[in-house]
Amino acid sequence: MIGRLLFALCFSLFAAPAFAHKPSDSYLALRVSDAAIEGHWDIAVRDLDAVFDLDRNADGKIDWGEIDGRRAEIDVYAASRLALSSAGNPCPLTITDHEVDRHTDGGYLVVNLRAVCSAPVDALDVDYSLLFDIDALHRGLLKLETGSASVTSAVFSASTRRQSFTLGGLSAWTQLRGYIGEGIEHIATGFDHLLFLVALLLPSVLVRRGRHWEPVTSFPRAVRSVAGTVTAFTLAHSITLSLATLSVVSLPSRLVESLIALSVLLTALDNLWPILPRRRWQVAFAFGLLHGFGFASVLADLQLPPRALALSLFGFNLGVEIGQLVLVVVLVPLVYLVRRTRTYPRTGLASASAVIGVLSTGWLIERSLDLRLLPF
Amino acid sequence: MIFASGALAAPYRPQSDSEIVETLPAGTAPAADRATRALRAAVARDPNNLDLALRLAGLYVTRARIDSDPRQLGRAEAALAPWWNTADSPVPVLVLRATIEQSNHVFADARTHLERALAQQPANAQARLTLATVQQVTGDFPGAAESCARLADVAAAIVAVTCQASVDGLTGRAAQAYDALDRVLAPSAARKDSASVGLRSWATTLQAEIAERLDRLEDAERLYRASRALDPHDAYTIAAYADFLLDQQRYAEVIDLIPGDTPVDTLLLRRVQAAARSGAADAADTADDLAQRFAALRARGDRVHLREEARYTLEILRAPDAALALAVENWRVQKEPLDARIALEAALAAHRPQAAREVLQAIASTHLEGARIAELAREARGP
Repeated sequence: MIGRLLFALCFSLFAAPAFAHKPSDSYLALRVSDAAIEGHWDIAVRDLDAVFDLDRNADGKIDWGEIDGRRAEIDVYAASRLALSSAGNPCPLTITDHEVDRHTDGGYLVVNLRAVCSAPVDALDVDYSLLFDIDALHRGLLKLETGSASVTSAVFSASTRRQSFTLGGLSAWTQLRGYIGEGIEHIATGFDHLLFLVALLLPSVLVRRGRHWEPVTSFPRAVRSVAGTVTAFTLAHSITLSLATLSVVSLPSRLVESLIALSVLLTALDNLWPILPRRRWQVAFAFGLLHGFGFASVLADLQLPPRALALSLFGFNLGVEIGQLVLVVVLVPLVYLVRRTRTYPRTGLASASAVIGVLSTGWLIERSLDLRLLPF
Repeated sequence: MIFASGALAAPYRPQSDSEIVETLPAGTAPAADRATRALRAAVARDPNNLDLALRLAGLYVTRARIDSDPRQLGRAEAALAPWWNTADSPVPVLVLRATIEQSNHVFADARTHLERALAQQPANAQARLTLATVQQVTGDFPGAAESCARLADVAAAIVAVTCQASVDGLTGRAAQAYDALDRVLAPSAARKDSASVGLRSWATTLQAEIAERLDRLEDAERLYRASRALDPHDAYTIAAYADFLLDQQRYAEVIDLIPGDTPVDTLLLRRVQAAARSGAADAADTADDLAQRFAALRARGDRVHLREEARYTLEILRAPDAALALAVENWRVQKEPLDARIALEAALAAHRPQAAREVLQAIASTHLEGARIAELAREARGP
């Protein structure tokens, strides 16, 4: 009997196209946030039929009633074929709901599930053993989502049933890059911070002699002056950015924004008539404290999860410094080159400062009175 | 979107118990389905019973072929699990295993297991024929010819002759192969042999393909129709006939031949090509459907559809470089005329005929016949 059966089969081997329909897959989508894991698991109705003989009325069709009546059994089965754990501690599964969906090869039961781990998940172990006992070519296709952006894909097979995923490492780097980008973007589009730096740096290639400016004698001197100014600004805004983000200090945003505008105005005016302390680093430090509060409000708008706070603070600040450094590298050599020309101290510095002064006055009015005057 | 994982729509809760969630392919063969279910239950109770497991695996592999449904292959493998990796796997397990591996294009393993089976049972006709198939698909024509020759003593004449004709038809002796098939399929011979319908359909389709290669298009047409009359559902015959019709620009007939919702991707590819070439209304929809099927297979890591994907990529996506990469990768695995053809077409479209150098060498050394292949080879060789 077997011999004949197999023989009949062999005759058609030449005629058998190897590629057809589709082998069995399940689609497991999990999203991890802190200690909770939520997701859904799409299991082919055809595969469930092979396990449970769902087609009770033998009409070659599976209706919802034939599944619905066996849901308890299916749940027990599914839950016994998927084990999630973190740091050696199991994350017990609960099946919360059932739906249906279609994939390229037919109808699927969508098992919505939830698992809770004993601690926030940094590494997730997935032990997958669905269907391998009745279908050796079955695959479990996992999409693992963590946090906001990162998605990991993995395929489980009869020979690869257990896989571990490090969420922290992967997502931390991705998140860090994201925060650095946010920092760069903020400084690049934050004209008030940029113009403050410009106003601060324009005279860095000059030395004040009474009411007049004279060019610095050497580039190293200019660099020393710039380095002092920039370091002071960075230090100051890092302090207040951290304090505000960690909710140690908080100031009303309108006040902060108005004071930032005022700081830009005063720095620009100081280039025309000396009104601020002679040492630029002191000015940079004092006003840097204000700007740090401004950065903090941007970071707050991103609504960070508490766990990512240190990371985001670091990344965002790094991004701000990178943006700031680019400005310094472009601006300082430029003004150094033109510092000895007759026009730079008189016309260049003065007119640029005047323009910055006008703009910052506009911001000051806007922000303090809550108006909308300027396009940026 | 992240959670879509290939789903075609959003998940929903059916409105009533009577809502159909899935139509089983077994619905078309209820008796076979009942037999499978009964055997499955028996194997579940007694998983170490070799006889039961072989019968179930055999049923699955047969269904896999008839329905062109690879899902059944994994089930066959699972049923044989207790004997799968043992040093002394029984011969029927080795042969079924090789069949599954061949279907998954794991040709080297298939060959190993067939040779193990034949070492124990040199007269095992099924193992011998499967080996001939594997040798032919991978371009080992001398090996295939030898396997076919050794079939003569252990199998019916039609099996040995068709096996040999299959090799001859690809190695410069198409005319002799055609005549040999004519003789073995002659009404008197067929009656004497009481050959099964499946066998005669196999031989007839092969003869049609050879007729095509000999440029005897009317004979090819007649033979394809004759084979279809014997076994209307054989996917291989439908695919070969569809290719014949595509080459003759008879697109409407391809669309009539293959329904737009065919579960068989090899067939859907032909329909997509016909629809695209004739500007059919559903051309874009069926092409999207096929693209999703390819994507679903890629997601699980399957590479059995390279030939079809290369054709799709070249003609529908119009991406010759990507198609060429697929066709070259495919050529490393299988070396049938269709594989040679898509490799040449893609290489020419990508203006990189040198990428198909190996294919040209194979055509020259085997003396593969066929007007279209000859034309492509001439073009690829250049002036």
